Amino acid sequence: MTPSIPASPATVLRLDQLSRRRAGRPAVQNLSLALQSGQVLGLLGVNGAGKSTTLSMIAGALRPDSGSIQLSGEDFLEHPELARQLIGWLPERAPLWAELSVNEHLDAHGRLRGLNGAALRLARCAIIERLELQPLARRLAGVLSQGQRQRLGLACALLHRPALLVLDEPANALDPVQAAALRALIREQSATGTAVILSTHLLTEVTAVCDRVAILHEGTLRHDGPIHSDDHAALERTFFEIAMHGTCVPARAA
Amino acid sequence: MSGAFVNTLAVARLEWRRLVVRPLAWVLAALTLAWLAWNFTLLLGGFLAGQIQRAALPGGPGFTDLVAVPLLGQLAQLAFLVVPLLTMSAIAGDRRNGTLPLLFAAGVPASHIVLGRYLAVLGWLLLWLVLTLAMPLALASATSLDWGKLAAAALGLTLMLAALAAVGVASSTFASHPAIAAAAALIIALALWGVNLGAQMAGINGGAINWLAMSTHLQPLLRGLVSTTDLLWFVLLVGLALALATRRLGSDRERG
Repeated sequence: MTPSIPASPATVLRLDQLSRRRAGRPAVQNLSLALQSGQVLGLLGVNGAGKSTTLSMIAGALRPDSGSIQLSGEDFLEHPELARQLIGWLPERAPLWAELSVNEHLDAHGRLRGLNGAALRLARCAIIERLELQPLARRLAGVLSQGQRQRLGLACALLHRPALLVLDEPANALDPVQAAALRALIREQSATGTAVILSTHLLTEVTAVCDRVAILHEGTLRHDGPIHSDDHAALERTFFEIAMHGTCVPARAA
Repeated sequence: MSGAFVNTLAVARLEWRRLVVRPLAWVLAALTLAWLAWNFTLLLGGFLAGQIQRAALPGGPGFTDLVAVPLLGQLAQLAFLVVPLLTMSAIAGDRRNGTLPLLFAAGVPASHIVLGRYLAVLGWLLLWLVLTLAMPLALASATSLDWGKLAAAALGLTLMLAALAAVGVASSTFASHPAIAAAAALIIALALWGVNLGAQMAGINGGAINWLAMSTHLQPLLRGLVSTTDLLWFVLLVGLALALATRRLGSDRERG
């Protein structure tokens, strides 16, 4: 299992000039950014800005057309197997196998990530307890509510204690209590050294948990900088300026 | 254990679990085994009724020729329907419900996904074959079985099921919907079986067109004749189908 607490903040992820075309148009263009362990990056942008494409490439589900991705200092495109232990990914709408139970999902994800036997059982029990999935453990994924599906997807992403957690609109379909629990979980992951990328439409979500924000517009990075919990108004102003006028605020170095 | 083996095993276990919790596999197993058991009793009844006449023919057909091999022949016919139904969701189902990227994101290469899925389906099909073989084998102590002929026929059926499963998984990899995958697998399997029908009707019994047909390679095995050419044909078909499936799945990751 990948140790989650590094000795000092290290660069977990580095994107360099990442580009990808989708449906005949550039979805992401020359995207460069870096993420340190323990950092929580909020990825903002209007629909079609390239957030999900970016996250899919980072998660290893989609190959970029050009550019490079470095994961803990290694070339991720050369070694896609790095995803197995280093990355936990919750895609939008948490895709699940309807005919498998919650326990079976966690077992399947654990095995795909190289966990087996006692280690898998321990990891499964821990994540079920942490995400309060005990009452659902034997229930089939096909009968779960959208919020429960989202929690199961999150459990699958966290099961193997990844160094990088990639969350694509994780608060979708969560009620306010569950959304608050998610925020607490992200902070907890960050405190143990896990780097988190969080794509969301909710600016409040970003100001509540992120310590950095990146704004994408038409596939390009228009803003990248630190954020504080009392920066909500400034973030809102920047976001709307970029979303409405595509104004390019000079990006700060990561 | 090597990473490749662990990956393939994890995918195979996942697919196996999905197969056994879905009603489709159980319904197919129950219906086909009931049909085969009924036919077994009919074949056995015919064999017993003709026993006295055959006693006068030394070296005439025995239990293996009249009961065991025809039963396996019926399983081969059923396989044309059963295998496409079992394999249709192998990849197309994942593509449809969006779970395919989860496998890519777990760092599992396309070849391991294809192989894992294939092995799970093949496991189910071999269990199906073993349960069918158990019917004639249950009478092994009461009759004289031609073990060599039965082993050759079982090998032929194993290779046929392996080839059909590979074609089914490949079809599922290319199709966007499981039903299309099932239809494509059925059409390809039937085409492979009967590609030489026209040639045979014209009285041509050799040549490339006959070599291409699955029937040309299965029938000698069912008669107890094992040749390297026939084995190679099945191995080539399995290899080609799985290679095409891997290539298609790999391009899925490229194209998104």
